[in-house]
Order: sequence, then structure tokens, then C-alpha cells
Amino acid sequence: MNHIKKILVANRGEIAIRIMRTCREMNIGTVAVFSEADRTSLHVRYAEEAYCIGKAPSSVSYLNIEKIIEVAKIAQADAIHPGYGFLSENARFAERCIEEGIIFIGPSPLVISQMGDKIKAREVMLEAGIPVVPGTRKSLNSLKDAMVSAKEIGLPVIIKASAGGGGKGMRLINNASEINKGLMGSRSEAKSAFGNDSVYIEKYIVSPHHIEFQILADQYGNVIHLFERECSIQRRHQKMIEETPSPLMTSELRDEMGKAAVKAAKAVNYTGVGTIEFLVDGNLNYYFLEMNTRLQVEHPITERVTGIDMVKQQIKIAEGQPLEFAQGDLNQNGHAIECRIYAEDPDNQFMPSPGKIHKISEPLGLGVRTDGYVYEGYDIPIHYDPLISKLIVWGDTREEAISRMRRALYEYKITGVKTSIKFMERIMNNQNFIEGKYDTHFIENNQKQLLDNKPPEDCEDMVIIAAYIDYLDKISRAQDNHKAFVPAQSRWKKLSYLNNF
Amino acid sequence: MTFEIKINDRTAWVNLLGQNGNLLKVEVDGKIYQVDLLHTSDGTFSILEGGNSYNIELVPGKQPKKYTAHTLYNSYDLTIIDAEARYLINRKSNGTGKNSKTISSPMPGKVVKILVKEGDVIKAGDTAIIISAMKMESEYKSPSDGIVKKVNVAAGDTVQSDQILVELE
Repeated sequence: MNHIKKILVANRGEIAIRIMRTCREMNIGTVAVFSEADRTSLHVRYAEEAYCIGKAPSSVSYLNIEKIIEVAKIAQADAIHPGYGFLSENARFAERCIEEGIIFIGPSPLVISQMGDKIKAREVMLEAGIPVVPGTRKSLNSLKDAMVSAKEIGLPVIIKASAGGGGKGMRLINNASEINKGLMGSRSEAKSAFGNDSVYIEKYIVSPHHIEFQILADQYGNVIHLFERECSIQRRHQKMIEETPSPLMTSELRDEMGKAAVKAAKAVNYTGVGTIEFLVDGNLNYYFLEMNTRLQVEHPITERVTGIDMVKQQIKIAEGQPLEFAQGDLNQNGHAIECRIYAEDPDNQFMPSPGKIHKISEPLGLGVRTDGYVYEGYDIPIHYDPLISKLIVWGDTREEAISRMRRALYEYKITGVKTSIKFMERIMNNQNFIEGKYDTHFIENNQKQLLDNKPPEDCEDMVIIAAYIDYLDKISRAQDNHKAFVPAQSRWKKLSYLNNF
Repeated sequence: MTFEIKINDRTAWVNLLGQNGNLLKVEVDGKIYQVDLLHTSDGTFSILEGGNSYNIELVPGKQPKKYTAHTLYNSYDLTIIDAEARYLINRKSNGTGKNSKTISSPMPGKVVKILVKEGDVIKAGDTAIIISAMKMESEYKSPSDGIVKKVNVAAGDTVQSDQILVELE
């Protein structure tokens, strides 16, 4: 067994800090890497050591395999944690770590490449007897191929890129006449996004739920699942809100899907922390969608209901320790919800909003956690993901968790940049969400209420007074003569001496 | 001291009628408020009015008389209009108005592609430039029909918010 003493975190932002937090608790040294644009990022300040790995674009910094390996050797890190995104699902990176005698905190390069190829992943799962969305087993060769397959499967179908992710290269086909155009579009998009134009056809599941199972697997073949996460609140294939347990789930279905997830992980000899994503239709039929061979953004809700630190488990498994608990030891305690806070303007087509953070007040109190990385005076760079923080709440029941999320969103104030906080509040007040009746089309189906930015308060005059007083204050500071007005900031301190009006 | 304050599209008259410590009597557009106002030096305001508690955060703008204010749900752009500001507005009649002869980006980002060159004829609504920020690409369209007079940036450039990217004629 290898005892890990120092970890290089090959990532940035909130997830880099999240990983380092656990490292500190485990008394493991932390090494940050950063691009030139990230010199002021909190992960650089949080780590014990930090090294610059290149210019701002991620292609020459956070995706630069050789540079990161070089830093790991200089810093004498014995392991690398890739976080999510960037190199986390890059088999070549995992391989290079192994070649250099550095522990890669994740599964084997073989599993990463198998699961990264969606056609291959479907094939493996079919062989293992896991239900897979009906579709083609091989990559499509011609239009004729596509026509025949679409007819066999039955419209509507969806054309997907084998190397896909993030909704790129996906085309929904409702009519046979759209197949040609869809096929060409999907191919060219896949080619430019992933350098691989292999595509396949899948049945389009109408009003699906996106439900995933968290799994943990050690190096000795022990695999358990840590229950589900409901991730159907999405916008353009980007998750916005996740919760566990899923309002759709029954205990029988949970049991069955959990077993399928464990079987899927065993089928590929998985090790570490991983996620099996399923689509579930209105009749509770479930289908394997894909496997994510890394830590997920939304892992904290699972941590909250199970009490298990996912990053700590990753590290222990990477060290070669066997799992400390069995399936029967685990419980889902209460209900957890996560809201992703993005730097974007929900009232202006979700336009990204990079820039300087003026002020932040973070929500606190019982059952509230935030995983973020921005601070007052920090300039959010334009080069990376707009995710600035994740707000996670826990409640005894779903109802309590929703009320607590509303309260936490009320407390959460970030100024200087636009954020999705307002939009999250509208979702927490949406009747369909409250009743747990939603699928992946939730945002479009509830647009009217969600995009209504009617001001719910009227205190314009108070705002005018505030600006007026601030300006008087400025003038009286600039001129010596301040008969008109007594400087205001000292009044905050003088509170106790004040008379009545 | 009476001032005009522009808040979003509304212009209001404000006057301080009396003061006793943090207790103020203020007139806004003829309406008289008695407020209990406290604030920190960096713009966090607490106002109590008629039993209601208001929290306002005032962020100074790039120019000294401009502010952005944030309340619980709203954001407001404010401009203090004193004698100097009024003079400036009168001098250039389109002072603070939106210019329909330029294309600018409301946020910082990186120029991905420029679809027009100097001398091109452009129609209102035509995309002139594509800017990327935070992995999202946004298209910026021409506000009016015209001819491209000047392109101030090149593909790959980093741009600031409100920087003029393309000028029209």
C-alpha cells in the first residue's frame, strides 16, 4: 500500500479547493497549478505550493500534460488529482502519470478510454446485461445505414457523437426527412469539437429524467453504490440543480438501479469514484446513458446524505486501501439539494458575466454548505467555466430542504457580477418543482414563470436616498465646509449616542 | 441641497429637509420620507422606513457621479445630475444616450471572429462580431443600417466591457 504524502491538484477554481480541503484534513501536502490568468485564484492561495503552468488558454495550461507532470516531479508530489473537466477523463494523462510513477487518482487508462467512447460503452453495458437506450451498436457508415436504423428504432431518434459530451454533436430527429441534415450536422460538429466524426443513433426518450448513481470501487473488486442523484433540472444540457433522493424514485427502483450500477462498474473492473448516468422515462423504465470516470460537480449532495467524504474515499482507494464499509452500512439520511451558482445573467439570455466581485455575503446556518472560490475584489477571468460556487443544503425532508434553500438564497449576495441566484430562487418557488413534478424539459416548460423578472419589491425611492446621501458625503469630504451634512460613516460607530428624531 | 438623480429611466428630485444624526427627513419627487439611515464607508446601507428594513449596496461606477445599486432582487443604475453634469449633457445633446452608430460588448471577453470589414454595407440586425467569454460565444449585431467605418479590434484580442468594437457610418 502506498501512503500518499503530497497531492498535485491538476485543476482550478472551486473543485481544486474542495480537493485541497480534504487533503488538509488528511494531513496531505497540496500543490496547486495555475495559468497566468489564475495567479489570483483562491486555489493558488489555499495550496501550500503553487506553480504556473502556462498562458491563460486551457489548451496550453490546464490541458498541458507534460508541463503538469514536470511540476509534479519538481514538487515531488506522489499523486495527481485531476478534479472534473480538463484532464480528468483523459486516458493519455492517466497513462503518463503511471509511466512516471505518480499515482493518478482515478480509474485505469483502459476504463477511461472505454467509457469515453460512447459506442464502446454501450456495447460493454449491453454485454453485461444492463438496459441501454435502444439504438445502433456500431458507428453509422452512411445515410442509408442511418435511415434503416432510425426506422428500426422508431422516431423520434437522436443522433449523437461517440466521443460526445456537453450536448455537442447532438441532433434530434422527428421526421425521416431530417435525417440527412442531422447526420451531416452532427458529424461536422463532432469532428470540430472532438476530432472524431463517429456518430450513432439512439431512441429519443420523451420527457426523461436524468438520474445518476454514485459508485465507489476499491482495487479488490468491492463495489458499492451511494444511491442516486436527480439531475433533471438542466439548461442546454448543463445541470443547474441536483437533489437526492429523487422525487421520482421508489425504494424498489432504487434497489434495482443501484444493483445495475454496481454491475456496470464491475463489468469494466472499475476502481475509485465513478458515476453511472441513467435516463428514466415516465413509466420508470431506466436505460444506461454513460459512465463518468471522475468526481462529479454535484458530489456534495451525496456526501451530505451519506456522511461520506468522496474525495477522502478517492484518495484511500488510490492508496490501495480496501473499502471500509459495505452496502448494508449505508443510509440516505434526509434530503439534500445543490444549486449551481453561475456568473451569468438569467434576465439577459444567460449571458456570461465575468468581472470583478464587489461584495459577497455567503449563506450560513444549519444545514448549509457552499463550495466556491471567488472573493471580494477577485476578477473572474473570461477563459474558464462560469461556475463560481455551489450552494448545498440539507433538510430532514424535501420540503424542509426547499425552504432552507430559499432561505440560503436570500442570504447569498454577490455583487459586481451577475449571477444565477435570482433564477434559482424562482425555481425554488415553482409549483411543479415544489411538487417534484419535473423532467429534463423543466426549464423550457416553465419558462413563463422562470423568466419573469417583474420586480417583487418597490423601494426605488430608498435607493435614490442612499445614492443621494453617499454623494452628499463625498461632497462634504471634498469641501471642508460641511454644514449641509455631517459625514456619515462615523455615524455607524456613534449609534449608541443617537437621539430621537 | 437639491439634486436630480437619474435611476434607470426615471429622473427624480431629491432634497434633504432635516437631519438628526442618522435620522433624516428627505423629499423625493415631492414625497417626504423619514428614514433611519446608516452606512459603512464601502457602501453597505441599512435604511429603516415606516417599519420596513431595506438593505442596499451601492457600488461606485467608473465615473464619480455614477453608481450601481443592488437591493435584494434588483439592480439600478444611478447618475447624480448636478450643475456640472447638466452642463455636460446640454453640451453634447446625446450625452448619456445610447449610440446607434457603434457596436460594443457589454462584458469583457475575447474576439473570436469579425464578420465585417471597413467599407462593408451592414443592415440592422446583421451579426458583426463574435465574442467569447467563459466558454460561451455571443454574437453582436448592428444596431442600425449603415457602412462599417472602423473596426477597432482583431480576432484573438481581449476586450473590456463597453469597449467600442465596430464603428458605423
